[in-house]
Amino acid sequence: MGAKVFFATVWKEFRVRLHAYPISFMVSCLTTGIYTNLGAWLMYHCFFEGRLSSDFSLYAGTGDYMSYVIVGSCTYLFVVRTCLNVSRTLVTELREGTLDSLMLAPFHRSAYFLGNMALQTVTTSLELLISVLIGLFFGLQIYHFSPGKFIIAVILSLYGFFGISMMLGCLMLYTRNTYITQNTLFSLIFLLCGITFPKEYLPKALQYIGALLPVTDAVDLLRTSLLGGMTAEDWSATAMRLFVLSSIYILMGFPLMEKAERIALEKMEG
Amino acid sequence: MISVTNLSKTYEVKRRDNFWTFHKEKIHAVKNVSMRIEKGEIIGLLGINGAGKTTTIKMLTTLLEPTAGSYSFDGIDAVEYPQKVKKEINMIAGGERMLYWRLSAYENLWYYGQLYGIQNTVLKERIQSLLQMVGLWEKANLPVESYSKGMKQRLQIARGLINNPNYVFMDEPTIGLDAVITSELHQQVKELARKQEKGILLTSHYLAEVEELCDYIYLLSNGEMLIEGTKKELTDYVFTRKQCAFSVKGMDKQVEEKLFAALREYDTEGEISEMDKGVLVTSERELTAFLADFALREGYVIQELYQKEPSLEDAIMKLSKEAKQ
Repeated sequence: MGAKVFFATVWKEFRVRLHAYPISFMVSCLTTGIYTNLGAWLMYHCFFEGRLSSDFSLYAGTGDYMSYVIVGSCTYLFVVRTCLNVSRTLVTELREGTLDSLMLAPFHRSAYFLGNMALQTVTTSLELLISVLIGLFFGLQIYHFSPGKFIIAVILSLYGFFGISMMLGCLMLYTRNTYITQNTLFSLIFLLCGITFPKEYLPKALQYIGALLPVTDAVDLLRTSLLGGMTAEDWSATAMRLFVLSSIYILMGFPLMEKAERIALEKMEG
Repeated sequence: MISVTNLSKTYEVKRRDNFWTFHKEKIHAVKNVSMRIEKGEIIGLLGINGAGKTTTIKMLTTLLEPTAGSYSFDGIDAVEYPQKVKKEINMIAGGERMLYWRLSAYENLWYYGQLYGIQNTVLKERIQSLLQMVGLWEKANLPVESYSKGMKQRLQIARGLINNPNYVFMDEPTIGLDAVITSELHQQVKELARKQEKGILLTSHYLAEVEELCDYIYLLSNGEMLIEGTKKELTDYVFTRKQCAFSVKGMDKQVEEKLFAALREYDTEGEISEMDKGVLVTSERELTAFLADFALREGYVIQELYQKEPSLEDAIMKLSKEAKQ
């Protein structure tokens, strides 16, 4: 039954989005990537005149700032799009009046959320492909592409993003707010997870907060699989830490989601 | 059979005292409600706004957890085994909720069918027969957003039956619908109970609808069960006295005063109240002969004289007023 719910949810979401979201929505998502890259390019070339501090290479594992930023912003785009859509699925059901009819059915929520995640991964990957092509224009260069590491990094990252989505979804459903919750989280991710600059530049306290977000390790793993810069031991340790952290998010997320569902249904009662 | 014993739901809400502090307050939405629903029966659950009808239905459909009490479906404890119970029940709500507007009617039913784990071959046949039943088969592939209110409500019925439930909960299913569609829906509800042997719990603000459809009625007030019974039992309970509508040619205040004086001689507890035409006379004694006699004696020409059967609406209104007081 889990597989039925999984595929049916992928199909349903696809059909709904096909009707609901115009092409301009996808374009606006791509512009996020373009603006991030453009901003970094302008800062790097016009403001810093192509100069980097001596410790950048040490922290980043590469001296190519533009490639560093483009990989970071692509990952950020992926996180935002996945978390945004997966986490707000139930809140969308609540707003569209289908939450109670959905909750009436005896299905497992995991298949439902995974279905949403799968569709989102496919659509975001297509958007990302375009972002990478734009990134090439801004100077993206893949020096040390390691297919094995890349596949593992992508799988672990998806696992981590799914965990964040669950937790964010709980918050959204509980507060019935999507705007403030998601934007706060995305701002934190952008600042603390090493998207446009190495996290080591941040004060220690902020680095610790950043380490609690799976995106930080996900960005490091993806960057290393494309640009190199981390030893095999460090890479394995980071991968293990990401797996454990994501598992904690997921293990906490499902029971919390059940609780948030119940609270949301009770709040519907006024 | 659905057996409900002392079902209660209490919410804890935060009330703000000032900008910084707040206190918690308990609100008893439903208190010790007990009821039974048999297969093939249509049971009415009535009450004015805030009486606890929707909360009761949501608990019975396992959407809300009760604070206390128990309820079982054909012997299965719903609090302990909600997943098992979900397979046996479904809910049809009024308004335009519970449907994916951007999907077609067929797609909606298909998706809900998948959530219930129905086999594809069975599901295809069921979707067709349900859409034919509610008269939407010809428009099965149109998006729901293009449907009229009545069509959406008919699709709701089909959705509520997609898992072929033994028990169906209907929360204001005809709200906002015109008379023709309401009448069609009534027919379908009756068929579900009488022909398909489904147990139905219906809440409605339209008392005429409850009067037409329900075999047995529960009346809630402030979350508590006020009274239960058949329509006749409820009206007999409320109206122990006889009522007669009465009017004569040229009826005015003077005639009414004369009638009131004669009535009080006949029955000291007798009462008169204004109606659209004439008056409504209430007494514990036989009224028709008394009123005919009165008209003859005073030389009035009778325009209207008939014994009035109290309606369920009259009974519920009276009970609700009494409960409020």
